[in-house]
Amino acid sequence: MRPEPSLFRRLALRICLVLAFGAAILISAAWYYARMAADDAYDRLLLGAALQISENLTVESGAIVATLPTSAFQLLGLAESDRIFYRIVGPSNQTLTGYNDLKTKEALDKIQTKPVLETGTYKGEQVRIAIVPRTLSDPAVPGRVHIIVAQTTEARRAQAEKLTLQASLLVVVMSLVALAGAMLAIRYALQPLEELGMTLRRRDPRNLTPVNVPVPRELKPFVGSINHFMHRLNERVSLLQRFVADAAHQIRTPLTALSAQIDLLESEKLDASGRQHLERIQQRTSELAHLTNQLLSHAMVIHRADSVQLKPYNLIDVTRQAFRAAVPITLDPDIIVSFEAPDDDPIILADAVSLREAIVNVIDNALRHGTQSRLEVRVCMAEDQATVEVEDDGSGIPPDEWEHVTRRFESSKHSEGGSGLGFAIASEVLTAHGGRLRFREKEADRRGFTVILELPCLNAEEARYMRLASQAPFASQQS
Amino acid sequence: MSLYRLIQLCFTLLLVGLVYSSAQASEGETAHFPALQTETARLEIHAATDTVAMEPLIRDFQKTAPDIAIDFVEYVTNDLQDKAEITCQNKAVIGDLLISSAIDQLVKLANDGCALAHVSAETKRVEDWANWRNEIYGFTFEPIVFVYNAHLVPPDDVPRTHAALADLLRQRIDYYRGRIGTYDIRVSGVGYQLAFEDTRQPSSIHGRLIESMSRAEVKVHCCTNSSLDEVASGRLYIGYNIIGSYAYAASLKNPDLKVVVPRDYALILSRGALIPKTSKQPALAARFIDYLLSERGQEVARREAFFFHKDANLPEGVDGPKTLEESGISRPIRIGPALLAMQDEAQRRRFIADWSRLMIDIKHPTAAP
Repeated sequence: MRPEPSLFRRLALRICLVLAFGAAILISAAWYYARMAADDAYDRLLLGAALQISENLTVESGAIVATLPTSAFQLLGLAESDRIFYRIVGPSNQTLTGYNDLKTKEALDKIQTKPVLETGTYKGEQVRIAIVPRTLSDPAVPGRVHIIVAQTTEARRAQAEKLTLQASLLVVVMSLVALAGAMLAIRYALQPLEELGMTLRRRDPRNLTPVNVPVPRELKPFVGSINHFMHRLNERVSLLQRFVADAAHQIRTPLTALSAQIDLLESEKLDASGRQHLERIQQRTSELAHLTNQLLSHAMVIHRADSVQLKPYNLIDVTRQAFRAAVPITLDPDIIVSFEAPDDDPIILADAVSLREAIVNVIDNALRHGTQSRLEVRVCMAEDQATVEVEDDGSGIPPDEWEHVTRRFESSKHSEGGSGLGFAIASEVLTAHGGRLRFREKEADRRGFTVILELPCLNAEEARYMRLASQAPFASQQS
Repeated sequence: MSLYRLIQLCFTLLLVGLVYSSAQASEGETAHFPALQTETARLEIHAATDTVAMEPLIRDFQKTAPDIAIDFVEYVTNDLQDKAEITCQNKAVIGDLLISSAIDQLVKLANDGCALAHVSAETKRVEDWANWRNEIYGFTFEPIVFVYNAHLVPPDDVPRTHAALADLLRQRIDYYRGRIGTYDIRVSGVGYQLAFEDTRQPSSIHGRLIESMSRAEVKVHCCTNSSLDEVASGRLYIGYNIIGSYAYAASLKNPDLKVVVPRDYALILSRGALIPKTSKQPALAARFIDYLLSERGQEVARREAFFFHKDANLPEGVDGPKTLEESGISRPIRIGPALLAMQDEAQRRRFIADWSRLMIDIKHPTAAP
């Protein structure tokens, strides 16, 4: 798939095109108007000069006398470098003075009252020509005199060029400013898109709640679609979880019956191989029961994480309960188990049921797969952190598998049989509490493999406040 | 009495005619300036300017360009103009460079498309009023002055303004009758130009002056130098509208000849140089123009040729304001299209006719009241 050009580039390119097109039109217009303005200004001079000459025509003793006023030429001289040609034509088309061969396009006898301006060529140069008619009222020389004044067009061309250049400069500067402004505006306008992308990227993959960031109206349908999709995904995931919970629950009843039935089998009546089979069946059934319980407990933990409000608890109490629940009475008496707690009370915000379940699972896991002869459970407290450490003297889990074991059904390769749900449950619970599950490697002779449950801990003031807020007695027991 | 006057007038006319014809003969002559080293090019200058005045400049130019020979052809202004116009129309060749004090004639040539433009670092320094279309460059700064013979004009009579001159001629008409000289504008282009410019001055003084001069039976000459000779020799007492540089040169030769720059207004003439379109060596001509406009050329002109300079004080011995620029009385004749008005054929004919009626045609004293 060919990568689509970015929105910024698309917009920038199109704005550039529009601006360039606009600038071209503006510059053309500027050129046109500059020419008009220059023509207009210099035509006035030309006409003014011609009128001045016509005003100075007199009739003296029956002859037309053309006195060329210097001021008329000075007026034309305002177009500094332009050449000036003139011709005064008498009533019978004879040249009274000036350039004999200066011709006009318009026939002179058609110009009767109003001055005419035209463009022509004279002596190989483009000239602008003004023709002013003057009717003589003297009876001695009846008729009309035409004053023709022509001027080369250097000054007006220079003027038009100058004006166009100035206007073009303005247009170019304006276009550049507009372009820069547009670029900034586009960047600004595209910012919410970037922010939305960032929000989605930073999101926890397990978080399927609707995206709730303020976005511009144009992005709302997009966010709506994302949220709709997430909602459906969430529904499907919940459905799946409920199905797993239902299935586990449904399986548990026949499983209990099954193990009761197996217990009823009298092993004495069986031969050696039969006994062996029975033992295996018992073992497998108990494993199945354990897994079913874990599935149920997982489902419960997830359910509670979504629905139960957290309350302050003393971590020592919660851990002690879990310790008691996890260490069976039937434990091999050779195994030494111990429980240590600090003097201070580490107060945490927790759902006690889930948290106990998490600790139980970790201890249970240690007893099942780790412990050879020793299990230590410790509650420790740092400044703003409380930890529960579960240490055994087993071989532990190698560091490259730590990440796997916290996922569902991915247990360590070294452990046999048991499902990996224990760590997954613990990890999920801790995440829901703002904590995390850590491992510490076995150190030869000194320290065994340790699983650490880390939780944020409230300071004394927060704890008091939370206690008041929750209106609950300092909970230590909730079965 | 009247017969005597008539005879005197005839004599004067004869004299003028003689001077005129001799002037005709002398002007149109070619002066050769051979190259200082082996000649590689020959610049042909056609000028309505005295060879004597131009000589220091030409010689100094040759020092900077020793391989250039120069032919300098001298004309009266109108003759130069006629020849230049005809050659332009026929696309014939008239030298490489034209120099004339009759700026209006050069403007006419440029307006008719007979000139080549030239721009260089030197030409950029030329004042606006002394440049038109980059085709004509004014390279001198010459006030138009009065001259008088100190032997014949008593100190109290010396006119220092146009008005003073008019009053003097009115009050002492008998003493000064026939003793005033000026250009014959019929033959001198520069004379016509100066007379025309006089009429354009805002004050009404010029009308009075013309009238006074007419009554005082002014004598006319084709050229500045013949007027100056007359004043120097004492045949004329006062010369009017004389080109300052020539006047000053003459006053150096003859201490009796005094120069006055009028204090009410002084026309400033800037001699023009123009490269004709048909010039065979426009680059060489341009080089000569650049020399004329360069600081070196200007300095030589101020020292040896034209004496007056825009930025310098008046030369010693000249009666007038200390510096022309600061006094505010200088009226530079702007090189530009406004001069075309005076070049109009009909206008010129009429102006000269009017002028002649006043200055020449008054043949008997009864014309004066």
